[in-house]
Amino acid sequence: MTLLGLSARNALRNRLRTGLTVLAVAVALVAFVMLRTVVWAYTIAGDVAANDRVVSRHKVTFVMLLPKKYAAQVAAQPGVSQVTWANWFGGKDPKHDKEFFAALAVDPATYLDVYDEMKVTPEEKAAWQADRRGCVVGDVLAKKLGWKKGDRIVLESQFIQGQFEMHVSAIYTATRKSVDRNTLIFHWEYMNEAAGPVRDQIGWITSRVKDPARTADIGRAIDKAFDDNDVQTLSQSERAFNQSFVGMFSAILRAIDLVSVVLLGIMMLVLGNTIAMGVRERTQEYGALRALGFLPKHLVLFVLGEAVTIGVAGGVLGLALSYPIVERGMGRFLEENMGGFFPYFRISGGVAATAIALSVLLGVLAAVVPAWQTTRIKVVDALRRIA
Amino acid sequence: MSTQIEVRKVVKSFERGGQTLRVLDALDLQIEEGSFDALMGPSGSGKSTLLNLIAGLDRPTSGEVIVAGASLGQMSEAAQATWRSRTLGFIFQSYNLIPVLTAQENVELPLLLTNLSSAERKRRSETALRVVGLEQRMGHLPRMLSGGQEQRVAIARAIVNDPAVIVADEPTGDLDRQSADDILTLLQKLNTELGKTILMVTHDPMAAERAKTVHRLDKGRLA
Repeated sequence: MTLLGLSARNALRNRLRTGLTVLAVAVALVAFVMLRTVVWAYTIAGDVAANDRVVSRHKVTFVMLLPKKYAAQVAAQPGVSQVTWANWFGGKDPKHDKEFFAALAVDPATYLDVYDEMKVTPEEKAAWQADRRGCVVGDVLAKKLGWKKGDRIVLESQFIQGQFEMHVSAIYTATRKSVDRNTLIFHWEYMNEAAGPVRDQIGWITSRVKDPARTADIGRAIDKAFDDNDVQTLSQSERAFNQSFVGMFSAILRAIDLVSVVLLGIMMLVLGNTIAMGVRERTQEYGALRALGFLPKHLVLFVLGEAVTIGVAGGVLGLALSYPIVERGMGRFLEENMGGFFPYFRISGGVAATAIALSVLLGVLAAVVPAWQTTRIKVVDALRRIA
Repeated sequence: MSTQIEVRKVVKSFERGGQTLRVLDALDLQIEEGSFDALMGPSGSGKSTLLNLIAGLDRPTSGEVIVAGASLGQMSEAAQATWRSRTLGFIFQSYNLIPVLTAQENVELPLLLTNLSSAERKRRSETALRVVGLEQRMGHLPRMLSGGQEQRVAIARAIVNDPAVIVADEPTGDLDRQSADDILTLLQKLNTELGKTILMVTHDPMAAERAKTVHRLDKGRLA
């Protein structure tokens, strides 16, 4: 038996109360892990972006277009090894008009080389490039809409009149977790034929650079090349480009952060209430321990040890519950239905470690006031309650 | 025989509702080493207050308390706690055992404040339990024991660190007659066979009869 062991065993005195507190902490922790995972999954696109790609877009706003001829000029920049481009098509399947997914009109000759984390076989790639009406679909999107390789599908655009008939040339998978497997890509020329007033315009240009350490310099050089043109560019590393999207939702992310803090506060109050009740009930016993020679610091250790034990038990239970709830339930649903925002919805190691560390920290914080109260116990008054 | 407990001109006053209440009034008391003394008196006579002063749990308003050669008034609170853990054994009316610890672990509790090894602590606590006749109940939790057995565990806890003095505050107050007799017999045995100095506060005349000396307190003075 040790002093620390004794403090941990104190948690077992009122098993029902301890059990309910552990459960309450666990529930709060599951909610915390969910929210943190939402934030993490949303921002991961920036964190795991390729470090050798530069994205160039209209300097004013992402929704304004660039002349297609810019792609060749970007490709001519020193240090650029490959270039591709794409347009946001705003497509949807009229048969599934409630299903949102990203549909991009891309350059078939280069897109899958620059975005080589989208995996198809060489034969499929060649077949797609040869078929002007071919498209490549993410495996999650294909499963969701019931599309198979060889299927004929029809898309409508939010921006361009008419229906676009396509053939599913390939289903891609991903080799990097940031890739949205909910996307459809098809031939830019096919869209351009019907583009009308925005003909020969492209949404953005993605360049692959030879030396990832020079990404920022090359981005600046690209922008400088168009400085004197009517349409100027803003070039960013892919990471910065992705993070600019995250920034658009920063208010929501801050709100989630705030709710996370509130949850932690609730967790601490639940834990603190349980510890405070235990301390109040044991005032006489603490008086007896002091009479036996225990010092206030020993009583503080007992209270802190008990609080941390309950906090960690709640944290471990909460984390154990979080994995099936977040990864198998919520995560699968979000990846399949909101893959554009959450391509990879899993509990990160950092979130898991933070959850456990916070359960320890909150246990300590919850015990501060009750522990301080034990140091103020007057032995004679505490013992008088006995007689 | 030397003097084990000496109380010199001790006054203890409390402030209650703006008035000063003098609970002990220039009290003198001497208890010899190896004696078994009982303190009796009506409620409010000051016997528990005197016991608290002798145990170093409280400080006198004036006067001096010397126990086992130590003047308690000159010690800091921490020093008093350390002194108590080495010199005193406590027996409470309500036993005050830790419910989640076994009888053996409860007895071992004061030894956690020493530098003894885990094995030595266990050995000493088992010996103390044998002295009080509970060697068969070492692994039992307090709720599995009768009131008399719980008080025996508390007595084992009081003697495990081999104290010079044992103070007992109404040790038979929560027990039936038979259990009380057993406890008093045990205290007598600790006094006669192990030579422990025992000071017991009690309301019970039959308990006081077991002591070698009975002190009667009334209105803060020895009657």
